[in-house]
Amino acid sequence: MDDYQTCPKCKTTKYRNPAMVLMVNTCGHALCESCVELLFAKGSGACPECKCPLRRNNFRVQLFEDPAVDKEVDIRKRILKEFNKRQEDFPTLREYNDYLEEVETIIFNLVFDIDPTNTNKMIDNYKKENKDITQKNRNRQSQEEMELEELLEAEKAQQSEKANLYVNAELEEKKQKHKAREKLIDELMFSDADAKSIVASHVQATAALAKEQPKAAAQPGVVKSSKFSSGVQIGLRGQHTNSFLPIPKQEDLPLYRYTAPVFDYDGPPPPPIEKLGKLNYFANIRAANITERAGGYTEAMSCCRALQEALGGLFYSPQLMHKTAVLATNSSTQDTDDMETT
Amino acid sequence: MKLNVDGLLVYFPYDYIYPEQFSYMLELKRALDAKGHCLLEMPSGTGKTTTLLSLIVAYMKAHPLDLTKLVYCSRTVPEIEKVMEELRKLMTYYEKELGMEQNILGLALSSRKNLCIHPSVSKEREGKVVDGRCYSLTASFVRARHAADDAVPICEFYEGFDAHGKEFPLPPGVYNLDDLKEYGQMKRWCPYFLARHTITHANIVVYSYHYLLDPKIAEVVSKEISKTSVVVFDEAHNIDNVCIDSMSVKITKRLLDKCSNSITILETTISNMKENDSKRLEKEYKRLVEGLRDATIARETDMALVNPVLPSEVLEEAVPGTIRTAEHFVAFLKRVVEYIKTRLRVQQVVQESPAGFLRDIHTKVCIDRKPLRFTAERLASLIRTLEISDLTDFSPLVTVSHFATLVSTYTKGFTIIIEPFEDRAPTVSNPILYFSCLDSSIAIKPVFNRFQTVVITSGTLSPLDMYPKILDFHPVIMTSFTMTLARPCILPMIVSKGNDQVAMSSRYETREDTAVIRNYGNLLVEVAAAVPDGIVCFFTSYLYLETIVSSWYDQGIIDQLQRHKLLFIETQDAAETSLALINYIKACDNGRGAVLLSVARGKVSEGIDFDHHLGRAVLMFGIPYVYTQSRILRARLEYLRDQFQIRENDFLTFDAMRHAAQCLGRCMRGKTDYGIMVLADKRFSRADKRSKLPKWIQEHLKDTLCNLSTEECVQICKRWLRQMAQPFSREDQLGISLLTLEQLQSEDMQKKIQLRAQGV
Repeated sequence: MDDYQTCPKCKTTKYRNPAMVLMVNTCGHALCESCVELLFAKGSGACPECKCPLRRNNFRVQLFEDPAVDKEVDIRKRILKEFNKRQEDFPTLREYNDYLEEVETIIFNLVFDIDPTNTNKMIDNYKKENKDITQKNRNRQSQEEMELEELLEAEKAQQSEKANLYVNAELEEKKQKHKAREKLIDELMFSDADAKSIVASHVQATAALAKEQPKAAAQPGVVKSSKFSSGVQIGLRGQHTNSFLPIPKQEDLPLYRYTAPVFDYDGPPPPPIEKLGKLNYFANIRAANITERAGGYTEAMSCCRALQEALGGLFYSPQLMHKTAVLATNSSTQDTDDMETT
Repeated sequence: MKLNVDGLLVYFPYDYIYPEQFSYMLELKRALDAKGHCLLEMPSGTGKTTTLLSLIVAYMKAHPLDLTKLVYCSRTVPEIEKVMEELRKLMTYYEKELGMEQNILGLALSSRKNLCIHPSVSKEREGKVVDGRCYSLTASFVRARHAADDAVPICEFYEGFDAHGKEFPLPPGVYNLDDLKEYGQMKRWCPYFLARHTITHANIVVYSYHYLLDPKIAEVVSKEISKTSVVVFDEAHNIDNVCIDSMSVKITKRLLDKCSNSITILETTISNMKENDSKRLEKEYKRLVEGLRDATIARETDMALVNPVLPSEVLEEAVPGTIRTAEHFVAFLKRVVEYIKTRLRVQQVVQESPAGFLRDIHTKVCIDRKPLRFTAERLASLIRTLEISDLTDFSPLVTVSHFATLVSTYTKGFTIIIEPFEDRAPTVSNPILYFSCLDSSIAIKPVFNRFQTVVITSGTLSPLDMYPKILDFHPVIMTSFTMTLARPCILPMIVSKGNDQVAMSSRYETREDTAVIRNYGNLLVEVAAAVPDGIVCFFTSYLYLETIVSSWYDQGIIDQLQRHKLLFIETQDAAETSLALINYIKACDNGRGAVLLSVARGKVSEGIDFDHHLGRAVLMFGIPYVYTQSRILRARLEYLRDQFQIRENDFLTFDAMRHAAQCLGRCMRGKTDYGIMVLADKRFSRADKRSKLPKWIQEHLKDTLCNLSTEECVQICKRWLRQMAQPFSREDQLGISLLTLEQLQSEDMQKKIQLRAQGV
């Protein structure tokens, strides 16, 4: 199998020596641990493949299958320490993207040794120009990183909380079931009542318990997240959640009570609106047509109003001040109706 | 006959109708009126398909503006064909009644493998190879090259379609896959692209779930389906699993090695192109700088590589600078692949959330979330630019790119599980990374949001209230219909103990017990002696099936069994299983009688019908729980518990019972059919299991049939079989379970239907 890692110098494979560990240095060529010790006994030497001078204490364990990737990641980490501008530092996305590409090109050039003099010059220039920004950004996390951290923390907190809750709930439930069963057996053993009725009451009790259970289980409910999974805030920016005005509190007033209004007609009471049809008042007026009915109008309304107007104030005399009170309820007008029909 | 369903004139292509079909139409009509989603359960064999089709077609005719299209999703090609047959029947009935051609276009769509008519490509067996070869003949750049140089091969059918097919729409009618092929042959047009082109204006489209649920395919095929459509998911009892599978990714070591190869190919192609034709790369680069979404993506032939669902704002944005140039992107891919390789080098199982993965990939190889999100899109663009015509080699890399995009897009509802070896073989190192979707609502959400009515229907959807929870939607109507029967033609029984009174159960503690195994064997032998023709048995897993059969050999049960019937066994090999099935059917047909031992969740339990003499009895040995130790399942259960308040046990029981119901339903495929259903496990008689069976089975599962021993079970079987063996004709059914138009319109029946509608 060619799957096994092989030291290019001594040709040892992982298969033959499972304890073998490959190491890489800045040049991206691998050597096994024992070769490193042998070749770099003095502390420094040349890489057996590319002959570039290396120091022993720069050797690290090879992480990736392809040592070139190790080298690239190494360079990338070094470069990104300097080139750490964030999107916030650029006016447009386009410029940020251009910057990113430039960084990528520099890394690419360094990895493949393309045009090293120019590249190094570029890096030096950049370092000089952007010293303060680099310094500032070093201590600052990018927004993305922050989001991730937040997510991770939230996950952790949620996990421990939920785990506790559910484990407890389940234990509790089991205990209760056990108790109920024991109680049933005890009762069956010692009580004199009919066994059937005991079992029936037990079934009822457990059913009632079961009904309560889901409520209890639902309580730990999900906290509505304020973010989409892509990290975008739901609604108007999460930060402003506290800035809403508090809901005004209701003042405590006595409850409203309905009382029927009392109308002072100062005349004989007019027939109530429901009875107009029965008393044959409609015979003399125009019936409402379809369009009027659709609007909610009926002939009873105008008829009632006309009657009220006709009868209102008939008893008025400044001396007597005779008053007739008509209640809006139907029952009170009952006797007067009969009088009029006769 | 012509029916009046709540004021809607429905043409029903048969002379008789089942009462539950009428109730089904009523409910469906209500859902369509309300423009909401619905969940309907009706037993198999009661004509769901024709009911659905006739009502929806009638509704489309009556309200052509409110409802423009029916999208009917089914699982397999034979099922699609069945639907097309029903539709054809309905349309001929319409024509006969109305005496003119109907202006309705119905068509089936399947993969290239089933629709290709190219002389050599269609000979390929594997779907992926057909897709790849088709792409290499029809991709836009291949055709451009052909224009310059005649030696480059192209597909004449696609050319024909491209030249003429787009202007002339398919004439109205019903086209199944064969019709499409025939039409394509006649016109010399490619039937596959013709069908895909026609989808946008067809009235009825029948295709597989994946065309709608798998985001990678849906984006290409179903993007332009209008909002005023009704979507039907038939046989939808497993829809949550389909949703989850479509969003999950599995990465193995071998896949990563293949990725490395493809990356080298990409590298060499890029360097070649740089020397010869650097203009093209520059053009791509410019386009990416501008941030325009690739216009050519809309071109239908370049479909093979599209990215999974992305929030649209990401698509509008420009590709980040880190992966803009081709070389940088390839180096980026290399880093991603190498990183995943290091992750696979684990000694014990690791479970991680997407957020944890993103942080780790950032610290280890300095990859930010944003470029990761664009990986799938960028890779598709690169492959198109490089004009690589053979896509089959790149599918591993595409898988990885999908993984990268998904992991950086969704931080919730997913989990990453890395297993260094399989549970069954802990000594063999076989590391696998599962990127598993836990939330089935993610994939189906766009469907619910997009279409005005989504109908989820199956023979076994009980318990109904679980589906709205796990798919996260609000149905306006949720109903289960039972079967009205003229005679008790199903006999469900729960057998809980053997003749020796030892309880039967597939519980983990007792499943290895010889007494239990022997009791199971005795039950099967005695049932086989009493029941004529075919018997189908379901076990909980292949492993359990094998252990049981091997101890049956030792106990002599196999010999006894073979005195009565022939024995066939389903295995994990598909070819072997289909051979066993063919011979099983043969043995049943010629009257010899046979027993088929198969596995719940296997191929036999899903989609193979044992009607009439092929399945007179179904035996369910044990409750088919999933393998509960699986980490993916554990993670999903936890997620369901936290997000949807579904308890682990509830979900496991639900899942087990729906599979049990699916198995039991195999033997009942119509009202003239009859069958015994034996549930051989003590635990089935508990209320939480029993209540989760579909209503049409529960109805017949009386208390007297619930806690039987083997002997009692056989006694009941014998008596019942004698009753069923009496001659049974249509006249016996008429008026009870089968209605003519007059009977349906009679006041009595209307009242009954009303009652039923309120009762449910």
